[in-house]
Amino acid sequence: MARQRVVELTLLLLAAFITVATVTISAVDERVAWSWGVVPYLTGLMVLWAVTHLALRRWASSSNGLLFPITALLQGLGFAFIVRIDPELANNHFAWSVAATCGFLLVLKGLDDLNWLQKARPYVGVVGALLLLAPGIIAAGPGTRGSSSTIDIGAVSIAPQQLGNLFLITFFAAWLSRYRSRNTAEHLGQVQPLDGDPSRFLPLVGGWLLISILVIFHSDMSLGFTTFIIFVSMWWIAAGRMRDLAVFLAAITGSLVVAAGSIAETKSIFAAWIDPWGNPELGNASIQSSFALAGGGLTGTGPGGGSADLIPGATDLFAFVPLAEELGFIGGAAVLLSYLLLVGVGLRLAVAARTEFDTILASGIAIFFGAQAWASIAAVVRFLPPTGLSLPFVALNGSLLVTCNIALALLLKVSEAAPNVSERTQLLPQISVQIPGDQ
Amino acid sequence: MTRRIAHVGVVFLVLYGLLFFRLEIIQVFNADTLRNHPQNTREITLVFDEPRGFIRTADGEVIAHTVAVSGRQGRLRQYPYGPLYSHVSGFISAENGGSGLERTQNDFLGGKDLGVRLQDNRDLFIDRSRTGQLELSIRHDIQLIARAAMAGQVGAAVVLDPATGSVLGLWSAPQFDPNHLSSHDLGAVTSDYEALSSDPNQPLLNRAEFQSYEIGSLFTIVTAATAIEEGLRDFAVPPVRSVAPREGSQAIVHDAGACGGDLRSLLLTDCSPGWATIGTTIGREKLSDISQRLGITAKSPIRLDGSPKGALEAGSLNSSASYAAVGEGLKVTPLQIAHLFATIANGGTRMQPHAVSRVLAYDGKVLKEFAPDPLRQALSKETAAELRQLLADNVTDGTARSLSIDGISVGGMVATQFPDKHSWAVAMTPVTLPGLVVAVLLEDDNFSDQQISEANVAAVTRRITEAILRLPSFKVGGS
Repeated sequence: MARQRVVELTLLLLAAFITVATVTISAVDERVAWSWGVVPYLTGLMVLWAVTHLALRRWASSSNGLLFPITALLQGLGFAFIVRIDPELANNHFAWSVAATCGFLLVLKGLDDLNWLQKARPYVGVVGALLLLAPGIIAAGPGTRGSSSTIDIGAVSIAPQQLGNLFLITFFAAWLSRYRSRNTAEHLGQVQPLDGDPSRFLPLVGGWLLISILVIFHSDMSLGFTTFIIFVSMWWIAAGRMRDLAVFLAAITGSLVVAAGSIAETKSIFAAWIDPWGNPELGNASIQSSFALAGGGLTGTGPGGGSADLIPGATDLFAFVPLAEELGFIGGAAVLLSYLLLVGVGLRLAVAARTEFDTILASGIAIFFGAQAWASIAAVVRFLPPTGLSLPFVALNGSLLVTCNIALALLLKVSEAAPNVSERTQLLPQISVQIPGDQ
Repeated sequence: MTRRIAHVGVVFLVLYGLLFFRLEIIQVFNADTLRNHPQNTREITLVFDEPRGFIRTADGEVIAHTVAVSGRQGRLRQYPYGPLYSHVSGFISAENGGSGLERTQNDFLGGKDLGVRLQDNRDLFIDRSRTGQLELSIRHDIQLIARAAMAGQVGAAVVLDPATGSVLGLWSAPQFDPNHLSSHDLGAVTSDYEALSSDPNQPLLNRAEFQSYEIGSLFTIVTAATAIEEGLRDFAVPPVRSVAPREGSQAIVHDAGACGGDLRSLLLTDCSPGWATIGTTIGREKLSDISQRLGITAKSPIRLDGSPKGALEAGSLNSSASYAAVGEGLKVTPLQIAHLFATIANGGTRMQPHAVSRVLAYDGKVLKEFAPDPLRQALSKETAAELRQLLADNVTDGTARSLSIDGISVGGMVATQFPDKHSWAVAMTPVTLPGLVVAVLLEDDNFSDQQISEANVAAVTRRITEAILRLPSFKVGGS
C-alpha cells in the first residue's frame, strides 16, 4: 500500500530537518571546529535516504513505513554529533553509510522469498557461528596476545560479531520454527519436563555452548550478553517452557561464575564500575560521562555547547553521552523512546507476520536492536559495567551500521510479506465495530 | 506465541523504563551534586580562554585579572602577586581545571550567573560577554603580615573577623605560582603541574581549608564548654597523674606530675587526665552533642562559602568518653579551628566564614552583596563569656603565656600533637569583645621538643596578631 510510503516520506523529511538543524546549530557555536567540507557528506546522506525510500517504493511498497524514518533519524543525529566532534570523520561515516545502504538494497532486492533463508539454515548457522567467533579465534592464534574484537584488512577494520549475531538470529528462527511443533506447550500440552522429543533440548544446549565459549574463552562479556538476551527471548517466544528456561539460566550462571573466576582483570573493572571516583584511571570514561550528563541537565547545553572533547570514545562507545549532554535529558529520553518504538514496531510486525519463521525472525531482529541499544546506554549511565557495545545507527561503528541496515531490510521484508500490514502495524489498536447480522 | 511476544515487549518496556529513570537521576536529580563534585573540572576548563572578571582584595589590590595578549587565544589570566594569593584565588588552566575562588566563583567571574550576564536591560537583546568582578574581604596588608610571619614554615594561618565571619587573611604554605599554570604554553604547564602535584610537600593543597589535623588539647575548650553548660563549673577534680580509659589501652598521662582542680586550673596546666575525668563524668553523648553544634564533627567540615563539599571526611569523636574529652583522634582543618574560636569570640553565634564580600558589574555597580550569614547559636552568651575569660587567664597565667601582647588583653591556646608532628595556636583579642581571631597551624618534621614547638607556633601567632593590631587602618571591634 502506498499509504505506508506517504507516512515514511513525511517522517523522513522530519528526520532530515532535525539532522540539518542539529548540524547547523552546532556549526554556529564558536568552540566547534566547523568545516564546510561536511556539507557534501550531509547531502550525500540525504541522497542515500532518498535512494532507500525509492527502493522501498519499488520493491517493497507495502512494507512498514515507520521503521526506516526512525533509523534514519538516529543515523542523522549520529552524523550530526560525529561531525560536531571531529569533521574529519565525516568521510569515514559516509563510506560506511554507502556500504550499509548497499547491504540494505541487496537484501531488499536480492532476497525474493524469506523461505529461502529457512531452507539454507545449516549454512546460515555455520557462517553465523564463524563470524561470531572469528575475531576471538584470530586473536588467540600464535603471535598475537589478548582479546581483540576487530579484524584489520588493510586500512579497514571490521568487527563481524554483530553480523554473526544476525546470521544466528536467522538460523535460530528457522530452527525454532521447525522444532516448535514438537516442543511447545501449545502443541504438547502440560507434560513432564523430560517428556517429548529429547531433541527439544538441542537449541538450549547449542545456545549455552555458544554463549559459554564467548564468555569463557573469548572473555567477551558484552557480546555474550547480547547473544544471551536475543537467544533467550527468541527461545521463550518459540517454546515458552518455564522449567527448561530455569535449567538454561542455571547453566548460563555457571558459565558466568567460571568466567568471572578465570579473568583477572574483571575484578578491577568491577571495582571501577562500582566506584569510578576511587579508580580514576579505569573509571575515567564513566566519570567524564557522568559529569557531562550532569552538565547537560534537563534541557542540555545545545548542540555544540558540550564537552565532547573530554569524553574518551565520544563517537563510538559513549556516543550517547554528547547526545544527551547537548540535547539534555529531553533529547536523551527522545532517543530512548526511538529505540523503544523500534522494538515495539518490530514486535507488532512479528505478531502480524505470515509464518512462524517470520514471526520469530522479526522478534529476534527487534530484540537485537533493543538489546544492543539498551546495553550500550546502560553502560554509559553505569547501570552495567563498561560493555564495549556501540549504539546502533548512532555510533561511528561501520560494521554495526551495515549489520543493522541488513537487519532492517529483513524486518521490512517480513512486514512486506505479512497480510494486511497497514491495519495491523498501526501504533494504536484499531477499534473494530461488529455490526450484528453483518457477516 | 502472541502472548509470549507481549511478555518480551513488557520486559523491554521495563528495561527502558529503568534506563529512563537512571538518566533522570543523573541529569536532573543528582546533577547539582555532580556539577559541584571535587573531581569535576570541566566547567572551568571550558571557560579557560573566555572573558573573565578580576578579583581584588578589600583594600583594592587586584590579585587576578585577564589581560589581552597577541596570539590565538587573545586573553591571558594573570596573578600580579604570584604565590602570595595562590590558595585564595587558586588558578585556572586549560587542561588541569582550576582551584580556589577561580573555580568556586566561576559562575560570577565567567558571567554564567544570570544576574551577571544581564547587567542592564540592553543585555537581553545583545549577546555580549559580561563578567563579574569579585571583591574579597581578605586584606592585602593582613595577607602580607601572614606571609612575613609564616616565612620558612609549612602550615596554615587563618585570620577571621568573628562578628561577620569574614576571612581577613588566609595563608597556606608551601604555595605555588598560579601564573605558571594559567600560561598558554601547554607543555610547560603540564610539566609544572606534574611537578607540583607530585611534590611530597603538596604545594597545590590549601591546608587551611582542605587538610585535617588532629585537634590535640585544643579540644579541651569544647570539654570546658560542655562542663559549663552542664553546671560543672565548680567541679573540682582530685589530683590525678594518669587515667587509663580502658583495660590495656594507653593511659592519658600528665608529664609534670599530678594535677587537678577546677576548670580554670585544668586549662591553665593543660591537665589531660583531669579533662579525661571530667569527660567520663559528663559522658560522650553530651560532648558529641556540643561538638556537633559547634560544627567540628558536622557531616561536612565547614568551608568558605561556595567551596566544593565532599573532598574531606568529617572528623569523629573517640568512642571512649575520656579519650574524646581530650580530642584523641579527632581531626579538623585550620579553618574549622578558627571558626570554633570565632564562635566563642562572637558570643556563641556561628558565622559562615566567607572570603567574597561583593560581586561588582563592569561599571563598578554592586550586583550582589554577601551579608554576614549566622548559622546558629551554638553556645549561650554566658558560656561564651566564661570561656573567653578562661582563655584570657590561660594567656596571663597558663600555658599560652607567650601569646600575650603589651597593652591589650589576649585570649588563646597553644597545643602540640607529638606523634603527628604539628602544633596549633589560636589567639583572640581583645577579650571583652574580640574583633580578631588568628589561628595558626605549623607542620614540623623536625619536631623534637614540645616546648620549642609551642614557643615557635605561639611566636608566629603573636607576631601576626600584634602586627595586625598595629595597622593604622585596622580598628578592633568593627572594621
